[in-house]
Amino acid sequence: MSADASDLSLVRRVQRGDKGAFDALVLKYQHKLVKLVMRYVRNPAEAEDIAQEAFIKAYRALPQFRGDSAFYTWLYRIAINTAKNAVVSRDRSPIEYDLDRNNEESYDMQGRLKDSETPEGLVLTDEIRSTVNAAIDALPEDLRTAIVLRELEGLSYEEIAAAMACPVGTVRSRIFRAREAIDRRLREVFEGGLGRAEELG
Amino acid sequence: MNEELDSQLSAMFDDELAPGECELLARRLSRDEQLKARWGRYAVVGAAIRSERGVRLNAPLAGLVSAVILAEPALAAAHGARRTGVRWWQPVAAAAVAAGVAAVSVLWLRAQTPLAGAPLSAHLTAPTATVPGAAVVPAASAGSPDSYVVPRAPAVRAPVVPSTELANYVVAHSVFSSPVTRRNLLSAFMTGESGSAAEEPRDDAQSNVP
Amino acid sequence: MLRAMSRSERFVALTLAWAVAGAALADERTPAHKTSLESAPAQKTSPDQAPAHKTSLESAPAHWLERMDQALTTRNYDGTFSHWHGGHVEMLRIIHRVQDGTVSERLVSLDGSGREFIRTGANLTCYLPDQRTVLVEQRPPDESLVGFPALNDQTASFYDIREVSRTRLNRRNTHVITVSPKDEYRYGYRLWIDDSTAMPLKTQLCDTRGHVIEQIVFASLTLSEHIPDSAFKPEVSTVGFKWLRNESAPPALAAATQAWNAMRLPPGFRMSARSAQTLPGSTDPVDHLVFSDGLASVSVFVEAQRREQADQPAVPESATVGSSSAFSTVIDGHKITAVGEVPPDTVRFIANQLKAQEPPSVGARRP
Repeated sequence: MSADASDLSLVRRVQRGDKGAFDALVLKYQHKLVKLVMRYVRNPAEAEDIAQEAFIKAYRALPQFRGDSAFYTWLYRIAINTAKNAVVSRDRSPIEYDLDRNNEESYDMQGRLKDSETPEGLVLTDEIRSTVNAAIDALPEDLRTAIVLRELEGLSYEEIAAAMACPVGTVRSRIFRAREAIDRRLREVFEGGLGRAEELG
Repeated sequence: MNEELDSQLSAMFDDELAPGECELLARRLSRDEQLKARWGRYAVVGAAIRSERGVRLNAPLAGLVSAVILAEPALAAAHGARRTGVRWWQPVAAAAVAAGVAAVSVLWLRAQTPLAGAPLSAHLTAPTATVPGAAVVPAASAGSPDSYVVPRAPAVRAPVVPSTELANYVVAHSVFSSPVTRRNLLSAFMTGESGSAAEEPRDDAQSNVP
Repeated sequence: MLRAMSRSERFVALTLAWAVAGAALADERTPAHKTSLESAPAQKTSPDQAPAHKTSLESAPAHWLERMDQALTTRNYDGTFSHWHGGHVEMLRIIHRVQDGTVSERLVSLDGSGREFIRTGANLTCYLPDQRTVLVEQRPPDESLVGFPALNDQTASFYDIREVSRTRLNRRNTHVITVSPKDEYRYGYRLWIDDSTAMPLKTQLCDTRGHVIEQIVFASLTLSEHIPDSAFKPEVSTVGFKWLRNESAPPALAAATQAWNAMRLPPGFRMSARSAQTLPGSTDPVDHLVFSDGLASVSVFVEAQRREQADQPAVPESATVGSSSAFSTVIDGHKITAVGEVPPDTVRFIANQLKAQEPPSVGARRP
């Protein structure tokens, strides 16, 4: 099966006028894009603004997307251009690309950001992360292995099946059940509890 | 929640669902807010596992994008006014370039009319009036720097597609450029991308000019 | 199962680490690019490669330009920089080394085209993955480093060179030097020259209204004693590429072409070099003239028009490569192409001034 069938089916819907389908693409790639943009701007809030702009540009340019490349590759290029343009047009010298990773005075020792997010935002990201971690800890080992190999190592179902010596269908089922278990806990954070998490709809 | 549907959702999120099923699920996904929310949480789970520093897991990004797009015309309706995208670096005479430099008679895509007013052929037939109104010092003499009539700069050029032949000239010339200017020439030649227009860099030293 | 076991074991161990420190697991740090500009001593060049021109320019700003040229041509350095032009920004990497009198240089586009330009001694190689082509040009081995234009007294007549300020750029002290052209035949420059190493950390190319049309800024730069040969190997795979080379023995200037020259030149431009060569992929001799005002230079290539093109109408064509310009036309059955870091009108003007002269007597060839 085409590796890009998932994205392409959504892209085609958007090209035919279905805006809701674009939401799904944004939801899927927003974190990746923000992380990419943070190579060019270190401030996360600014990175989010740029990522937002990149998504909107992508939406407007979607009629020209022909599927010559994977959708994410195409989106990735738009994000890089948007980030660079944002840096160049800032009031400072573009040399602040700052590839020097040692220059991290904004980060405290535990790697969390200081003073670039509201306290609530920071807490919520932490809470989400620890919720997910705890949920994964509590998983049966085969489910945990499957989801980690998928999300952390980026292996395909086939590769995971080879690693775990089980059929592909089993991999798909394990990943799905792992997500279900994690999602049960995560929904509480998003829908109940603090009630501050953002969701569409 | 329909377990089969959710299982499909999970597989589609991983690009592991058959194309036919993708089409069907895409349609549901776009309309079903709960399904969409779940899909969004799948992305959050992945980002949380990868623990990417600085990336917020609860950013309102998706909602903001959605709001902007809702206000835009639907893409299908905008089809009539489609921009022509410029494919950069695409060889104009692709077959000719591939066949070898000797066969290429078109060097490169012609940029738009360079000189306002003067047709190009005028340069060939009337070499003494090459630049309109210019008072040019003959090469032999040193010349005084007093009175130069400046040639008019052309309008902004359309991007052109460099060919192998142009590459030859650029490379051969680079040896004779001054150290600082050859970086401009070679860098420009090395790069090739499409992208939207950016603002110009600030003329930083303006405030410092005495 | 063994592989999976170790992975999940690793995961468990790391989960504990998460719980304790919240440390990032997928840490994708790239190797830190040093922004330090440690001064490594400039490489010794052999006497015949030191710039041969003498200049009586005593003024400090022009002196900085000379030091900058010296640094760019004689130091070893490895840096990444952004190149802005026409609304596009790209990152490139440049590596430069002078070792035992041989210049090695590599310029590669880090995002986008994947093109590479590599010079090792007398060989210039240009990798064009987008055209699946490699151009190899062999220069004459005795061609010295001083092919490039040299600032001279005349140059100051056509440019106004000033130091306008000193500023700190990326924590380095720099001298801001402006080079303003006195007419529109050439570009202006604004240069941020590092006080300690004379490297240009930021370069702006400006039109005569002072608008920046091109900018190069170093994001990282390291000057080092030693750069290994491996740094000058291309990254692009050339499987299935077409290789185009030039003839290694350049044709004599003599009978093949008449002596061409420009009847007129823009003020301040003089012929600064002349050679006969072939271009990669062709065996036709090419007369290569170089005109320069000491800072900007324009190459003019004269080639006998190929038979198959002779019956086509002469179509002048122009192109731009960043801020540099190219122009091609046909004069007396010869294709004339001018390329240089000057505005488009300048290359067109110069190209149109080319004319074949009566062959002079033997021995009076080179200027």
